[in-house]
Amino acid sequence: MIHNPFAALGLPERPDLDDETVRAAWRAIAAATHPDRADGGDLARYTQATAAYAELRTPWSRSEAYADLVEQAWREGRYDDYSLDPDGTGPGTEPLPAGPAAAPLPRRLRSPLELLLALTSIPSRIRRGRPLRLLIRAALAAGLSVAVLALIPGQPAAPADVAIVITWFALTGRKDLAPPPER
Amino acid sequence: MTTGSWMRLTAGLWLLRKAVMAAPWLLLGAALIAAWPLTLVMVAGYIAAWWRGWPPVRLGRAAVWALAGSAVWLLAGVVHHRAWRAAALAPGRAWEHSWPPHPVALAAARAFVLLAPATVAAGLGLAGGVWAWRKYAITTGLGGITPSAPIKFDARQWRRQVRTAKGLTEAPGAVPLLARGGRIPVGGTIRAIGHRWDAVFALPATACARHMVIVGATGSGKTNLMIRLWAGWFTATLQAARAGRGNRPLLVVLDCKGGRDARHKADRTRRLLYGAGARRVMIWPDEARLSLWDLPAQDLAVLLYQMIETGTGAAAYYADVMQAVLTLAVTAPGGPPYNATAFLDRLDAKWLARAWNDGRHRREADLVHAAAKHLPDIQLRFATLLERLGPALDGPDTLADADAWYFILEGTREPSVAQAQAMALTELAAHAATDQNSEPRAMLLAADDYSAVSGRVPLSNLYERGRSLGIGVQVSAQSWQGLGATDDERYRIAATADGGIFVMQTPYPEPLTQLAGTHRVLETAHKLIGHHWGNEGTTRLQRASTADPEIIRHLSIGQACYIHHGAATFVQVARPKPSPLSLLPPPAQPVVQVPTPRDEPAPAPWPRSSPGSPPATRDLDDIFGPGAAS
Repeated sequence: MIHNPFAALGLPERPDLDDETVRAAWRAIAAATHPDRADGGDLARYTQATAAYAELRTPWSRSEAYADLVEQAWREGRYDDYSLDPDGTGPGTEPLPAGPAAAPLPRRLRSPLELLLALTSIPSRIRRGRPLRLLIRAALAAGLSVAVLALIPGQPAAPADVAIVITWFALTGRKDLAPPPER
Repeated sequence: MTTGSWMRLTAGLWLLRKAVMAAPWLLLGAALIAAWPLTLVMVAGYIAAWWRGWPPVRLGRAAVWALAGSAVWLLAGVVHHRAWRAAALAPGRAWEHSWPPHPVALAAARAFVLLAPATVAAGLGLAGGVWAWRKYAITTGLGGITPSAPIKFDARQWRRQVRTAKGLTEAPGAVPLLARGGRIPVGGTIRAIGHRWDAVFALPATACARHMVIVGATGSGKTNLMIRLWAGWFTATLQAARAGRGNRPLLVVLDCKGGRDARHKADRTRRLLYGAGARRVMIWPDEARLSLWDLPAQDLAVLLYQMIETGTGAAAYYADVMQAVLTLAVTAPGGPPYNATAFLDRLDAKWLARAWNDGRHRREADLVHAAAKHLPDIQLRFATLLERLGPALDGPDTLADADAWYFILEGTREPSVAQAQAMALTELAAHAATDQNSEPRAMLLAADDYSAVSGRVPLSNLYERGRSLGIGVQVSAQSWQGLGATDDERYRIAATADGGIFVMQTPYPEPLTQLAGTHRVLETAHKLIGHHWGNEGTTRLQRASTADPEIIRHLSIGQACYIHHGAATFVQVARPKPSPLSLLPPPAQPVVQVPTPRDEPAPAPWPRSSPGSPPATRDLDDIFGPGAAS
């Protein structure tokens, strides 16, 4: 049986669903099947829907799940079941009008202002990456830092420990962000 | 000497001998306990490396990063104690306070964090050293309990390395389309032999601008890898062009198998390229048409001649006639034909005579006269060929009109047509690369499963053509045999791949892995006593394949071995995805123009009912009852 998180939530198989739609679908199923309900609910269905919701919670994971379904369908020769854009008009797959290719290429220079502007994309990168994991990392880093500061207040090792924790967070947390634009 | 004293002496000597033997270990144990914060970090680092399949160098790099904390510690110590000496003694004092009679748990935690700036860096470095020794001992046969220990260790480490690499490729930001320094990330590194190890394996964009070979069976993940390389190369080249460091990119992909899969692949490639900043990605022949007739006259004549099967022996005479006629038709004084119809019109004795019989081209006029009786046959053959090729090579576009072209050739369904198309497209690409009158472009010519159309133009020709024109050529095949018709041709292609060779799962990788060469390994033979090793044996130097063909034969989907400069890196290829922040908005929907109402003439009055005309409402009421017509 093919694992299909979209079907588990009763959603159309589209990569461009918004967060609200996915959440609403999960809430509806959760409300009807939660084991704490007076009628006992439906634990299996609830678990299935919750797992599917975890899988489809972010735009990134939705596109991944959709791509997995497409690949699975192609492997099985079901070419008509999916196309990359379900209604044929998905983003970024239609030919663009003529003209810009022949236009002069704008020069891009890295200026401090541009680097500053790149920082403004970090909230979007967090949102479109794996925010939960990043949050857990941040909480862990913050917790360790607080513990260090509480254990050895005023000691020279305290800022050093915090520096190590920050270094760890920066090195490992990068991969949980969505790539910057044009990467 | 009494028996009792002799026994005491013997026991004493035995104990002394054991004590001497155990002394280094006891000293080591004591040192590890005494330096417990360091031991703790070292053990944690060792276990992490063992569990995650990390190479020792990863622990070493972590230790270097941790030195940032050590630097901050020294700096803060100097500021805090106002003296270097006091700062240097602070760790010692912290360690001293971590032992009884001070409260153990809290004091230990306090001591650990006090010493962490030094012990983290040192512990990770030591863990790297110990882990390197362990790997060395196992692989050379010095370590392990059973004779099969090296095999089990390697298999277990491979599984863990794969798991770690897969985890990395699933992270959204770990493997973008383009990394710093214009490098193209390919995926998570599983194992590097001879290459520098990095968690994410990335190629310099210049590798794609050279010549690259990709071999992998159907379903091995070749498409993902190729699309990633195309998108990465395009992104890197476009960014370099924007920074004024090169020409604008032009990606030319020949998908030589065709079919529905090719359409999906083309669509996916286009989506990625749009995300990477491309403005026009054309899919041929479904959405765009190229003009074959834009080629310079001489090149066009040669190409048209090559596109027709001519035969040998007695047929060579007719081949010569055909070549002469084609040259006359294409290089006529009025200029080359501008489309297929104009070309076919020229394969006519009267037209050619009119064109060349101007008094200045007496020799050509004689040739026209001599070949006149063959012209209807030649015209018929080309009319058939051009009809089979369809209108896709008779269109208005040129390669320079787009950032990327995706050509779908039906090499499986119509091999002969696809072969002719491949020849034409290769010629157009070569013309675009050398055309002095158009904007210079950085070009990558990628041929996917070129063997499907390589009937008349061997892959090696395409390859060497690309090399001579200074454009990057990337070729893929499903097997070693698919690279060429003979071993000589295959080796010529593979051995000149200075951009590297990607080998994915394939049943016969040996010829390709041989190109990676061998590396020196130590092989230890032990004397077996029962089922266990004795304490005697020999070690000798051996040579082993750098890229193990057995591993390649068993690669899973999406795993590849990159062979370059006598070294190999096994990599878990990541699914190519553009940054979600850079996806262009969908093209604007065409605005539907609501037609303005025209002044229609007033409808003519309904004709009065007459015999033979449909019954009026009144009549239906009569038949079905009142209201039946409403």
